Amino acid sequence: MVSHFLVLSLFAFLVSIAFALLMRDTSKEQIRFAIFSFVCFVGTAFVIGWLMYPFP
Amino acid sequence: MPTKQRARSARPDENVAAAIPACVSGWLVPGLGHFMLGKRGRALIFFGVVMSMFLLGLSMEGALVALDRSDLLQLLGGLAELGVGLPYFVVDLLGRGDGNVTAVTYEYGYTFLIVAGLLNMLIVLDVFDIAVGRKD
Repeated sequence: MVSHFLVLSLFAFLVSIAFALLMRDTSKEQIRFAIFSFVCFVGTAFVIGWLMYPFP
Repeated sequence: MPTKQRARSARPDENVAAAIPACVSGWLVPGLGHFMLGKRGRALIFFGVVMSMFLLGLSMEGALVALDRSDLLQLLGGLAELGVGLPYFVVDLLGRGDGNVTAVTYEYGYTFLIVAGLLNMLIVLDVFDIAVGRKD
């Protein structure tokens, strides 16, 4: 059985790390940005998922 | 003289010429460009991230698509995947990139492969910026 949420989380985790290293300079800023980016990825997926819920 | 000051004091075309080997290396092996510029920690993390995405994509039965100029979407997908560099050619030569379009994870795998290539392209641009002195 495939966990769609696990795949989504893995994707968000890896991309967030890369974005943080590319877009921020200090370690502290990178960690904060990586967490922010990860939460945005997963949160957006939840919001879009709920928006699509009424549709067949 | 610190690297950044030296890079800024050199002529722009010299900086660009010096950046090319690092950029090509960074494209061929994810993270190698940063490694050559002395950013070893970042290099290791970039290598881990890009290779993880690439291998996860293959394990989810995503496909390495051919560069077919008759189909624009397939061409763009192939170009994006090509961004990952040597691993693309190695897997293609080994015949492991055919994917399985009927697998439930096929689209996920394909997405991971494309994003691995695109991320490596961004990483190469970062190498360029560091090499010409625009960034530390």
